[in-house]
Amino acid sequence: MYRIRLHGRGGQGIQTGARILASALFVEGFETQDSPLYGAERRGAPVSATVRAARAPIRERGLPARADLIAVGDESLLGVAAAGVLRDADERSWLLIRSGVAAEIWRSRLGRSERVATFALEVEEGAELPLVGAACAGAAARMLGVVSRASLESALERELAALSAQARAASAARAFAAWDELAALAGCVTEEPAPIGAPLPRPDWVDVPLDPADVAAPDIRVPLTSVQVRTGLWRTLRPVIDDALCRRCSWLCSSFCPDGAISIDPDGRPCIDYDHCKGCLVCAAVCPPHAIRVEREAGRATEPEKVG
Amino acid sequence: MSDADEPTRYRRMQDLPSTHLLGSGTSLCAGCGGLGAFRELYEVLGERTVVVNAAGCMSLLATHPFTPFRGSWLYSAMASAPAGAQGVRDALDILIAKRRIPADEDLDVVVLTGDGAASGMGLSATSAAIDRGLDFIYLCYDNEGYGNTGQQSSASTPHGARTATDRGPRGYPGVKKDLFALWVANRPAYAATIIAAEPVDLARKVEKAKRMKGPRLLLALAPCPPGWGFDPKDSIEIGRLAVRTGVWPLLEYADGRVVRTKHYEPRLPVERYLERQRRFAHLFEPRRDEQTLAAIQTAVDEACARVT
Ligand SMILES: Cc1ncc(C[n+]2csc(CCOP(=O)(O)OP(=O)(O)O)c2C)c(N)n1
Ligand code: SF4
Ligand code: SF4
Ligand code: SF4
Repeated sequence: MYRIRLHGRGGQGIQTGARILASALFVEGFETQDSPLYGAERRGAPVSATVRAARAPIRERGLPARADLIAVGDESLLGVAAAGVLRDADERSWLLIRSGVAAEIWRSRLGRSERVATFALEVEEGAELPLVGAACAGAAARMLGVVSRASLESALERELAALSAQARAASAARAFAAWDELAALAGCVTEEPAPIGAPLPRPDWVDVPLDPADVAAPDIRVPLTSVQVRTGLWRTLRPVIDDALCRRCSWLCSSFCPDGAISIDPDGRPCIDYDHCKGCLVCAAVCPPHAIRVEREAGRATEPEKVG
Repeated sequence: MSDADEPTRYRRMQDLPSTHLLGSGTSLCAGCGGLGAFRELYEVLGERTVVVNAAGCMSLLATHPFTPFRGSWLYSAMASAPAGAQGVRDALDILIAKRRIPADEDLDVVVLTGDGAASGMGLSATSAAIDRGLDFIYLCYDNEGYGNTGQQSSASTPHGARTATDRGPRGYPGVKKDLFALWVANRPAYAATIIAAEPVDLARKVEKAKRMKGPRLLLALAPCPPGWGFDPKDSIEIGRLAVRTGVWPLLEYADGRVVRTKHYEPRLPVERYLERQRRFAHLFEPRRDEQTLAAIQTAVDEACARVT
């Protein structure tokens, strides 16, 4: 059985990518399963989707304990522990990363001796098509080596039918570009024959003690705990205030930030809380003197996470 | 508590609160216009509140054990937030009458609900609460669909908008239900339309509502990046266009009269608003749907003519 996991951010079409991959395998005569896993169900938040495929009926349920192939549509997720990209990756697992950085550099960054591949795909800012997911599906299909180009094409048609002709064509083009790019690795991912995971032990009686009220009822007893959730991890683009251009106007940026992530210090200077800025860029759009610059977050992907 | 004729504290952007009361780190989408409106409102209303939240996007504000609120929060089923608010109001009144809490520790009871719950399932509970003269603030963030479950059409979806359930070339065939008019017809203590893009107007209305007693509606148009199909950074811009085209007139009902609190003359043509959102793209491509565009413009003109 093949067990494949795709990772990306909400809005990048990762769920669609998994459907395309599963459909292509189905067309090839496989039995398939695909199941997306959303965390916050929100654009920008980490999302993953799993595909199982086998020549025989699939009796496994739930999330696979390990994956033969992990396709990462957004490299910035590798720096995000909560996204769990490398969870349960072992020496047999292949890692496929959408990245402009070469595979050997990723190998040394991630401390792996082999089995890392990359593919390149530029997505224009604001592109709303499932491009990343489609490209991951194309690349993954090639690495399995059991999906023909024609089957991928028919899966793309089937799964993208609801989109406009233009959007369908753009997504398919990205999928085939990735398919071509991985030609040298065709068939590198092999099936793991053994079923995964030992049968679960019978549950035992567990005593659950009552939590103290502060823990059990935070909505009543403990204010403002949400700041412990660092939604700065969602960001793919980063707003940066240029202090020299900022006019300390009536804090437009701060009033309009939906997340309240911009505070004003005592001398009237706005300051962005990057642990919680989601990168919507509303602040940059409303700033009259264009004092807020937009930078790509990608270069910062493997920066260690700050804790606290 | 205070005098309804007290002059407003909010005249310019500079007067707006500069500290953000609502915690960051919530799992709502980047650029959410509903969150923007609610955050601005919460800053004026203050922390002495109990928020009764019908299921919807905003119920993800507080996901156990995290909360962005400084006061209490109660989750309710989609249809029953006003009934929940009645229970909380009664409990507070009884506790005060029995001197279990001092009268000056009273809290504002605030319903927080999406348009789907407000104008559909929750409408009878709301209507009954108004009949009973319940002393509460009712905040509806109107993202014009069932946002949390993927933007299906609600009774508040505008005519012609494409949604997850109206995917055809004509979009939603119905007409947006006028929740403001429904409230006004029931003679509440106060009712107003607001939007995050006009924070001073919003702050004045919240300030006013806070000083009153009885059923009070604050109805916020909530530009929704994924549901409406626009880039999150344009959230405030889309809101401004909604006001400047007359699609979302800023209204206030008090003392038996509806007045317009902010005028932009001349109004911009509605197309300027529609063309920025993917949910209306089919009105422009592959060819302009003159008939629907004209119908939408006429409806806006007529609605604007009814209020001065
Ligand atoms: C009785 C009931 N039916 C369905 C649901 C599933 N559900 C959860 S949120 C939601 C959408 C609510 O839409 P709306 O009130 O417009 O709020 P929004 O999601 O847009 O914030 C639905 C249908 C539910 N929670 N309860
Ligand atoms: S909106 Fe721009 S100019 Fe105004 S305070 Fe913010 S960064 Fe400075
Ligand atoms: S990009 Fe700007 S407006 Fe958006 S969350 Fe970050 S600081 Fe706030
Ligand atoms: S779906 Fe829309 S309303 Fe809901 S959180 Fe996202 S932006 Fe806000």
